[in-house]
Amino acid sequence: MFRFPGTARLLVVGGAISYRALFNWTTPPMFIGTLLVGPLLQVFFFVFLGRELGVADDRFHLVGNAVLAASTSCVYGGTMAVANERRYGTLGAVLLSPRHRVPLWTGRALPYVLNGLFVSAFVLTAAALVLGLPVPAGALPALGLVLLAAAGACSAFGLALGALGLRFRDVFLVSNVASSVLLLLTGAAVPRESLPEWMRFAGELLPLTHAADAARRLTAGGGLDGALLGTELAVGAGWGLLAVALLAAFERGSRRRATLDTM
Amino acid sequence: MLAIEADALRRTYTSRAGWLKPRRTETEAVRGVTFEVAPGELFGLLGPNGAGKTTTIKMLNTLLLPTSGTARVFGHDVARDPVAVRRRIGYVFGGDRGLYDRLSALDNLRYFAELYGVEARDQKRRIAELLDLVGLVGREKERVEGYSRGMRQRLHIARGLLHRPDVLFLDEPSIGVDPVAARDLRRTVADLAAGGTTVLLTTHYMAEADELCGRIAVIAGGRIRALGTPESLKSRVRGRDVLEIEAYGVDEERLDRVRRIDGVRGASVEDRGALQIVTVQTGRGSAELHGPVLTALDGVRIGRVTSREPSLEDAYIAIVEEAAEAAVGLAEAEETPAGVPGGVTSGVTDGVTEELSV
Repeated sequence: MFRFPGTARLLVVGGAISYRALFNWTTPPMFIGTLLVGPLLQVFFFVFLGRELGVADDRFHLVGNAVLAASTSCVYGGTMAVANERRYGTLGAVLLSPRHRVPLWTGRALPYVLNGLFVSAFVLTAAALVLGLPVPAGALPALGLVLLAAAGACSAFGLALGALGLRFRDVFLVSNVASSVLLLLTGAAVPRESLPEWMRFAGELLPLTHAADAARRLTAGGGLDGALLGTELAVGAGWGLLAVALLAAFERGSRRRATLDTM
Repeated sequence: MLAIEADALRRTYTSRAGWLKPRRTETEAVRGVTFEVAPGELFGLLGPNGAGKTTTIKMLNTLLLPTSGTARVFGHDVARDPVAVRRRIGYVFGGDRGLYDRLSALDNLRYFAELYGVEARDQKRRIAELLDLVGLVGREKERVEGYSRGMRQRLHIARGLLHRPDVLFLDEPSIGVDPVAARDLRRTVADLAAGGTTVLLTTHYMAEADELCGRIAVIAGGRIRALGTPESLKSRVRGRDVLEIEAYGVDEERLDRVRRIDGVRGASVEDRGALQIVTVQTGRGSAELHGPVLTALDGVRIGRVTSREPSLEDAYIAIVEEAAEAAVGLAEAEETPAGVPGGVTSGVTDGVTEELSV
């Protein structure tokens, strides 16, 4: 029988169990309502608003919002993966683990990558079918890759926000703000050309920005833009590194400042 | 090599309040705790709420850094080598929290087996052993959110034992557990110690400590006030008699009147619903004090009055009361600064007064 080596088990098996333990929206009604129906309606909203205002075409809003749909599970999931430990009072027991922290925390983000990929794929497919947007069949593998990169980068971003949960209470407030920031600055729902320079610059550093552009290009038959995909991966790696650094710093700080039991 | 060595451990908490004019408050929770525990020993740490028991345990298990002093677990420094310490310890705490409610007991144990580095090939067997040990076989696939407090507590213990720790920290494990579950828990703990596991137990239940612990340290106000075998602690009050009075409505003023009676060595009251149990320690053969004590309690309804030999609980109360009196004396002798430049104030949380006035 195939067995994972220890670190891979912590990453994959540990990550999967922690997803079931800590993600609040795993029940079918919550999953369907929050992660699938809500984002789908958001696509329709922006598409029809875009038609009315003439800001951008259907493809811009449909694809952009489908990529953005991953953010709900990735940002909130990443936050829950750390912050919900306080809710259950399990943070102390987790931090007493002698295991290396990188696979421990990274494993927690992995299910949200798959979750985000599934949500984006569903929303893109459903919205394209309903609104009649043609997507070239040949673009699908590359599109899957771009959506995966987007979900990965967004999960790393969510984990970095979740790391704040080791230090601060009410970290979901940060997640709420972060979701709005992604909506505004990534260009997934609002054309970035219309934003001020500093907002455009901030958007460059956020997940989803480059993936949304790459996905639009692919659905329009333009082929995979390696630079955009690479930039999205680099942004994700940056947020991942920041998450690991923050988690390590806040764990050390919690021993010094006794902040683990702060509810 | 010793299992646990604590040398002059201190821990100060700093809290900040206010935004515009932040005010820092420092609280000394543990003030120079020193003790040693031998491998395989079952060592008790007793003390009132806020005495510093949990803070001491959290320094020993690496969740908190000591402000000063050192501690080692099997020679590994808790501050400098936390990972090595974590490999050898288990931590079990009392109460409802500390488990993933939405998972089954089995999945809780599977996850913590991953976290605590239990080899994949051993996990299934080890989890089955522990479910059997704590009596959760047949219920392991149910979600923990439906578990009673006793079942949760048993699952806590199973979790703490997953990686076969050499040292087990049990922080008030029997809190809120029914008598039958508490008895089973004591049996489990005794078996673990008999099997060679070093156990550091904190508890409020004196009978539990008396039955289980080879040695006991009484901690109050962040300092160890007494350390020895249960028998040696009891011998501190051997020259006393204990008068137990069932009463309704005893207040602090009446209790002070009892304490002021010549020959009374200490008095405390414990609430049991509407009923109160007043425990009065007197010198040996002081039957003549019964009258004055009852007079001091004049005005409250009195039930049964009994006289008995002192127990470990009486020894504990005597030690804690002495600590409280010493703290009051110290506070009167030294003028505690109410505020120092920079907005820093000092305070002490020892919980002694709070415990005695219950």
